[in-house]
Amino acid sequence: MSHLGERVSALVDGELNHHERDRALSHLAFCADCRAEVEAMRALKSRLRSLDGPVMPTDLTMSLLRMAEPGGPLPPRERPFPASRTFGGAPIPSMHSVAPPDNRPRGRAGGPRRARRAGYVAVGVASAAVAIGTLFVVGGGADPGPRVPPVDMFANQHRNTVPFGGSATPTLSPTP
Amino acid sequence: MTRLPATVILAAVMLLGLVAGGPAHTARPAHAAPPDEAESEDTGLYLLREAAVAARSRGYSGIRYVTVQGRTGPVTSTAEVRNLPGRGLTVRTEPSGPVQGADPGAPAGGMLAPSGAMLEVLARNYRVVAAGRGQACGRPARLAEVLRPDGTVAARYWVDEAGGPVLRREFLDGRGRVVQDSGFAELTVDPVAGDVAVPVRAAGGAALVEVSGLAAEGWSFPRMLPGRLELFAAHKALPGYLYLGYSDGLSVVSVFIQHGALDEERLRGWHAERRNGHTIWTRDPAGQETIWASGGHVYTVFADAPADVADAAVAALPHEPVPDLWTRLGRGAHRLLSWFNPFG
Repeated sequence: MSHLGERVSALVDGELNHHERDRALSHLAFCADCRAEVEAMRALKSRLRSLDGPVMPTDLTMSLLRMAEPGGPLPPRERPFPASRTFGGAPIPSMHSVAPPDNRPRGRAGGPRRARRAGYVAVGVASAAVAIGTLFVVGGGADPGPRVPPVDMFANQHRNTVPFGGSATPTLSPTP
Repeated sequence: MTRLPATVILAAVMLLGLVAGGPAHTARPAHAAPPDEAESEDTGLYLLREAAVAARSRGYSGIRYVTVQGRTGPVTSTAEVRNLPGRGLTVRTEPSGPVQGADPGAPAGGMLAPSGAMLEVLARNYRVVAAGRGQACGRPARLAEVLRPDGTVAARYWVDEAGGPVLRREFLDGRGRVVQDSGFAELTVDPVAGDVAVPVRAAGGAALVEVSGLAAEGWSFPRMLPGRLELFAAHKALPGYLYLGYSDGLSVVSVFIQHGALDEERLRGWHAERRNGHTIWTRDPAGQETIWASGGHVYTVFADAPADVADAAVAALPHEPVPDLWTRLGRGAHRLLSWFNPFG
């Protein structure tokens, strides 16, 4: 049997079937090179498993949360478990924390209220403008500006209109 | 057309007669006494009906004249007319001008064939009585007089005794003065060619179905004007104006209303005058064409009526200054409320 080669990784991950695993293990009993390679592979994977998951930067986390907030103040942070890890002095949210740490400046606490008030004012002004515009248009129609009547067309219509429509019955009526 | 100068001379002669003081005939004074019991019925209405039928069904040709007593004096115009049964009436107003088709029931056709409904309106507003015989345009005629309720003569018609159209028509004002005289200066009536199918033209008449919708849109206009002028048509038309037609059975007044202000700078050929504190623009000396601005609208009035009737109609229509902002807003609120008011 030749050296295990790419089957080393499959052997370490337990992905070989029963027959292949027996042949691989038989080879390892007599091949020091492959045995050393398998040991090295196991040690590498074991070390990778022992590492922590990637930590999301705090700034990125807060930016994402601000994008999702409805505009009102954030609910009080619930932290049933104390933060155990910090990064640069700032607590790092963990899988047990419900809300991110509120590290916004205190000066922004009244901002949403003022923004809401300004929004109310803007909506009111816009509604009043729409109402006044509607009354203005309905009250006089759109003003097309100064004009000269098409007098020739009007004169032609006047001269060719038969009052009360129709015409006299085209039959001779008897003379009384 | 070589006969037109002679016609003009004839019209001038008639004009002199008009200026000299009244109708050619002197059968009845203008201030006629109220008709007696026998005349209380419209004994002359059938004459006008026959003449209206003849104006469509008989073939004839001739020269018509119209003389209107204006503020600065009488004004006369002539036209060459030709009626062919089944083909209609054609009119040429200029010697070398184009020949145009016209309905004999319209002002362009000289109102030779008023509609049956118009004659009914005439009979409702006036009494139409037969008044003997006379002569017009060199032809024997039967005379019909149109009397106001007070017994004064409002109009006289000379109807061709040989079954032709109306030969002559006079309008008189309340003081018995002839204010409009029209008729044939020359006339040739073709022989009767049997029964001829005359097409009945639908010419924009009793179009009052839009009145309620126009009122809902905020248009405001009177149903009656002074002189018993009744509204017979009201509709909107392109390019964005309201047409109103009024008639009392004799006269016709057309009112055109547009949104906007009057551009007086570009109103060429019209002359401003002051009436009752308002500026009115007129073009013809007979007072039949009038323009003015009122309340954000431009009014244009064309009339086929005595000058006093036309003036009274113009005076009865709105003459308001341009509305200010609050007036306009209030009017808009009123209209909006009227739209949503189920009892309005």
